[in-house]
Amino acid sequence: MANASLIPAGDFRTSYAADTTIFPTKTSRNTAILGVILIAFAPLVLTGYWLSVLIQIGIFGIAALGLNILVGFTGQISIGHAAFFLLGAYTSAYLNNNLPIPVFFTIPIAGVITALVGLVFGVPAARLKGLYLVIATLAAQYILIDFFSRAEWFSGGSVPASANPFSLFGYTLRGDKSYFYVVLAYLLVSYLLVTNLMRTRDGRALVAVRDHYLSAEIMGINLTKYRTLSFGLAAFFAGIAGALYAHYQLVVSNEGFGIERSILFLAMIIIGGIGSISGTLMGTAFVVLLPEAMEWISMELKGGTIDRALQLNNNLTFLREIAIGLIIIAFLVFEPDGLAHRWRQIKAYWKLYPFSH
Amino acid sequence: MTMKSLLSTASLALLIATASAGAQAQIAIGHLADYSGGTSDVGTPYGQAVADTFAWVNKNGGVAGKQLNVDTNDYGYQVPRAIALYKKWSGGDKVAAIMGWGTADTEALTGFLAQDKIPDMSGSYAAALTDPEGTSGKAKPAPYNFFYGPSYSDAVRAELMWAAEDWKAKGKSGAPKFVHMGANHPYPNAPKAAGEALAKELGFEVLPPLVFALAPGDYSAQCLSLKSSGANYAYLGNTAASNISVMKACKAAGVDVQFMSNVWGMDENAAKAAGDAADGVIFPLRTAVAWGGSAPGMKTVEEISKISDPSGNVYRPVHYVAAVCSALYMKEALDWAAKNGGATGENVAKGFYQKKDWVPAGMDGVCNPSTWSDKDHRGTMKVDLYRAKVSGSTDGDLKDLIAKGTIKLEKVKTVDLPRKPEWFGW
Repeated sequence: MANASLIPAGDFRTSYAADTTIFPTKTSRNTAILGVILIAFAPLVLTGYWLSVLIQIGIFGIAALGLNILVGFTGQISIGHAAFFLLGAYTSAYLNNNLPIPVFFTIPIAGVITALVGLVFGVPAARLKGLYLVIATLAAQYILIDFFSRAEWFSGGSVPASANPFSLFGYTLRGDKSYFYVVLAYLLVSYLLVTNLMRTRDGRALVAVRDHYLSAEIMGINLTKYRTLSFGLAAFFAGIAGALYAHYQLVVSNEGFGIERSILFLAMIIIGGIGSISGTLMGTAFVVLLPEAMEWISMELKGGTIDRALQLNNNLTFLREIAIGLIIIAFLVFEPDGLAHRWRQIKAYWKLYPFSH
Repeated sequence: MTMKSLLSTASLALLIATASAGAQAQIAIGHLADYSGGTSDVGTPYGQAVADTFAWVNKNGGVAGKQLNVDTNDYGYQVPRAIALYKKWSGGDKVAAIMGWGTADTEALTGFLAQDKIPDMSGSYAAALTDPEGTSGKAKPAPYNFFYGPSYSDAVRAELMWAAEDWKAKGKSGAPKFVHMGANHPYPNAPKAAGEALAKELGFEVLPPLVFALAPGDYSAQCLSLKSSGANYAYLGNTAASNISVMKACKAAGVDVQFMSNVWGMDENAAKAAGDAADGVIFPLRTAVAWGGSAPGMKTVEEISKISDPSGNVYRPVHYVAAVCSALYMKEALDWAAKNGGATGENVAKGFYQKKDWVPAGMDGVCNPSTWSDKDHRGTMKVDLYRAKVSGSTDGDLKDLIAKGTIKLEKVKTVDLPRKPEWFGW
């Protein structure tokens, strides 16, 4: 029954394997594969602008996925995620610039190094909970950013560091079109890894820590280990994403990666759906596209009748920022379970159509 | 669902592609402006002037009969956003030129500009951008970077020369103490080494630099350390808004120090906001006259200003006038390129090398004569030092305050720096 193309009425799962399967039906698996194949054709069809938007969604999606392991699956909190993202970016650029390691290898190495640093900053999580933990992770944000702006040997200090394009054994990929596939590959692997992680013993332990840490401890789960581990995992994906970002932008600057970016990462997973892997990607897409959409609207408004009547001029920029804030608030009020939940409802609606009750 | 959304995305992309293909008869220009970021206090008048000038050029026939298609974007002084915009401008329909802004983003773009051959007239005057071939050994080659005015380093050199004279003129004995102040950011840091090196040469005692953020804030602590260190001359490396905070706090703390500011560190709006705390600050002026000054070229500036202010009543600060000059140099370089093989980035850069002691048409007496060569992008070595004079209350309209003489920009000294090779590129 597990390979049926449609989900049968009633619950026929008779094994744990069937219970934890990623794709319940053949159709869902084929759709996913088809989706990936279609996305792979994007560089041939899309303009440079849209391609760069997709690449950004991909990169930030990986970082947000890491944060969702920490927040959504383990029930911890971090407002220092952007600092780990930046650490990955600087590490990969530094390794590639100073050692004869091609970018192909520096990206995963940067992920591992960031994970180690993440483990260190995760140690307070063994003792702290809730708001106290928030402040502890805030320290990570400030310590790391301050380190980047002073450690000239590592990050170039206040001057942006340069990073090389993606290369492997002398073969260099240039341009967004080819880099898109690098990001796509990392995105697929990351999402598959995390999806599978949640089906393992360790994944279930993380969820148990989130749901009821006392019960989890009584069941024999080492709380310290799993809480710290989740910080390491979160930092790992942040580091990978940061490294990808460094070799995409070719410049690493610590501007724009302060606490507001960390909050934005939290916004991605909250909007997408806390503890939902597919929701993470939806939330990231939403957060990346929202300022772009506001940009189009403000471009349309510029010089138009509304602009002239209200004398908006340069205030359009500020209106745009305000609108982004308002939309996020509205989202939290009307869609508290995130985009993943809405997506399930849409699917359910069509599944039962026209007999939904 | 997926198929449908993909199809609509694809068709939207096609639409955008055809829309941009229809705009072929225009010359595309990218414009980075900071209206909302850390330097928006001075970025707003500068960006407005660039937009106004190109709109005025379009109204008067454009460049070689083609209209300029200027893509103005507020990037909030953030390097990643500048790079994202650059990617848009350098891919597909490449822009012929960029009007840039900050030091961090311009330095980040330098390598790309050289690779893609797109000239960038930046609002950053960092000396590292003046070395097109990297021959100075002090900076990376920056063959496509231009700016109008003295570099940050040359301006601080001129200020220090004035300060050394000022110290003697006041009949004070001993070594004067100099301190560099600014955020830990590429822009205030750019002239730090040059200033401190020359200060030592001129016999100043150089104190450890003081850090204060690019945004306005409470800088009493900095003023107290300024007071206890006994500094005589302090260089303010930030933009006007945060410099004002320092000047006000220092006034309140009773610090007796001569402030000298960066070219972006003082203007009429800042003098109005700071009130008597701004009295006596020395700063470089990039144009021969400020708004309302008597020069034949001021008529052109007033016409350009009417693009965004048809009433003609708004007082434009020094950054507006300087930006008009910058944009018009770019316009004339585009003119030359359009006549000599087409307005491509490579030709536009060559357009900058065509004239010596160059003043854009209609700007006589406003823009200072500038000369760029393929070996040296220091447009000018002349630094006009002015002093902000504030007498009395600065409440009310800026235009009236200037007319009444409550706020005055008073010329102190013109320093003609020698074009020394050892001052090149830093």
